[in-house]
Amino acid sequence: MDRAREDAGLPVIALAGQPNCGKSTLFNALAGFKADTGNFPGSTVSYTSSEVVADGRRARIIDLPGTYSISPHDAAERVTRDYLLSGKADVLVAVVDASILARSIELTLQLLEMGVPMVLALNMLDEAERKGIDVDVGRLEKRLGIPVVPTIAIRGKGVVSVVSRTLDMADRPSLGTPPIYDRDVEETVRGILDRMPGGLADGIGAPERFVALRLLEGDPVIEEVAGNADPEFLRFALDERKRLAVLHDWPEETTLSSHRHAVAMDLFEAVARVVPRRKMTLRDRLDGVVMHPVLGLGVAGAAIASLFLVAFLFGDLLAGVVSAPFESLLEVLSPRASESFIWAMLRGFVEGVAGGVGIVLPYLLPLLFMMSLYEDVGYLPRAAYMVDGALHRIGLHGKSVIPLILGYGCNVPAIMGTRILETPRDRILTSLLVPLIPCSARTVVILALVAALLGPLYALGVYALNIVVAAVAGRILSSMVKGSQAGLLMDVPPYRVPPLRSVLKKVWFRTYEFLVAAWPILIVASVIMGILEYVGINNWMNAVLRPLTVGLLGLPEAVGVTLFFGVLRKELSLILLFQALGTDDVAAVMSPAQILGFSLFVTFYVPCVATIATLVREVGWRWAGVSTALNTGIALAAAFFVRVFW
Amino acid sequence: MTLEQASKGSRVRVLKRASGHRFASSLDGMGIHVGDELLVVGYAPFHGPILVEIPSSGVRVALGRGMAEKLHVEPVEA
Repeated sequence: MDRAREDAGLPVIALAGQPNCGKSTLFNALAGFKADTGNFPGSTVSYTSSEVVADGRRARIIDLPGTYSISPHDAAERVTRDYLLSGKADVLVAVVDASILARSIELTLQLLEMGVPMVLALNMLDEAERKGIDVDVGRLEKRLGIPVVPTIAIRGKGVVSVVSRTLDMADRPSLGTPPIYDRDVEETVRGILDRMPGGLADGIGAPERFVALRLLEGDPVIEEVAGNADPEFLRFALDERKRLAVLHDWPEETTLSSHRHAVAMDLFEAVARVVPRRKMTLRDRLDGVVMHPVLGLGVAGAAIASLFLVAFLFGDLLAGVVSAPFESLLEVLSPRASESFIWAMLRGFVEGVAGGVGIVLPYLLPLLFMMSLYEDVGYLPRAAYMVDGALHRIGLHGKSVIPLILGYGCNVPAIMGTRILETPRDRILTSLLVPLIPCSARTVVILALVAALLGPLYALGVYALNIVVAAVAGRILSSMVKGSQAGLLMDVPPYRVPPLRSVLKKVWFRTYEFLVAAWPILIVASVIMGILEYVGINNWMNAVLRPLTVGLLGLPEAVGVTLFFGVLRKELSLILLFQALGTDDVAAVMSPAQILGFSLFVTFYVPCVATIATLVREVGWRWAGVSTALNTGIALAAAFFVRVFW
Repeated sequence: MTLEQASKGSRVRVLKRASGHRFASSLDGMGIHVGDELLVVGYAPFHGPILVEIPSSGVRVALGRGMAEKLHVEPVEA
């Protein structure tokens, strides 16, 4: 279908707001489950779009990355700002966390200045109430000049009304009341407006007043555009900024923002009543342990260990139950596989189906559940806080830990998640380290081989070794990658008890991705493997890889072809291993050392094709090549080490 | 003194922020302005970040040591 034509004429609604304000939750409530949410800053790194139908009216909604301000300082923030300036959005829905209204109003005021028709979704009203903040919605509407809709997006409250008020706005667009600053500021703005070259604001895609205010604010991007258009004008604007700063005795770059802060506080006091409740909250008590310099490290260790132990215990249980019927089916099929081409293909097909639902899913489901829980509860930023100091020692950024932890789920979104890092150096470094983190596919290999056959402690050992290897690699790489390192400045969101429904939805969302994107690959590859075995090409491939598999690593020759296919999807190495060895009783044909060596090699070697493709897109060919070489080198060393010292 | 030198459990008021558009606008986004009071909640291990709370909103923010050094504060008597 021609999507563009189908969409022609549909009003476009963009959601914007600070990170963690519940924007993506609102989006999902509107669109079904399409966006990945999480209780940490920057869960949305590129934008997601979906069509919605509400009140019998259709619209396209866009979930933009969270931004603290409209000064573009990281890649995710730039996405939002560029989109809003592109003029593609008919209506902007500013999503605001009512429990931190005073802070959120500042972004709302900045968005109002961009001259896009706007509706305010006053979200998390329940949390605001718990904190003793009572908002006068009517008065807020009047002061901002835009519709304000109270919502509790996570429970679906107010969601329909957001859409209908927004679509009303799309039908009859009107602009709100941008803030009016102190007299000196307004005079300066007028002076700049008088001299502004025609076409400058249109070129940027914003009202002239917005451009003038951004120049007063010291926005580097707008300054550059203005300087290219008319250097004389830019000099004038910068002089005016200096004059205003001297007049008010503020530092130049904070003059306007201080005024905006004053306007915001004034507005907040006019619309909200706060009954302060100063008692020890649950968060304070939890943070006292979770963010304690010593206890917190224990919590972090326990969090990681329990992630894998829970995944293993449930996974092992499930795998036993689900794979039993497939095993008896394969017992019938296997002896016939050498008889004819059709039988060989059929056996491959069943191996692929069984591998997906009998081996991968049982481990994947509990792992995804635990990961989703950690994300939604709000643990990730706290983990980042705990390890920032240690990460700085190896030349990394504390925020890097969020993509690295996400990497345990899947490396692809984790590498995209490095966009929350401010400097290119931090992004490249973290992107190189993410592929060293065993994603859920590799965790399935580790759990099904190492934990199940050698014992859970060995598996934890693999994870511990993995962290040490990543740390050493990080230390070495950080001395090689040049560039500046940004300091940490990170919001620590409150703990949230996610409704079970939303966690399960997220697990389903990611499971669905496995079912439609990965499972077919597993099945097709298994069928191909069946054919290769029938024709005998697998022997030839194994022979080619023999110097590596048998010679260097001391593994059975039959694993060669599994490593070859593992580049497509890491689970394939496991599923094809059963097929190649002709049994799922791996322990009977491989020694413990071979099992560990194979698992380590699979864990570290060449990232899967999807990861490589993402690396190419995010950091370029060169670094993708470095990453591949790094991974493979470490894999060889680790597996060889096991062979020699076991 | 700078925020980096403030002790755990103490209350401080922001006097001055080091210059730089980027730093200023990041702090604005987090809700840390000149004149605001901050409560120093704690420190992370290995010379890690400082956790502060903005008592007026209850927002908690982690600042790396380098960032904390760029924030000039004065102690507030309880």
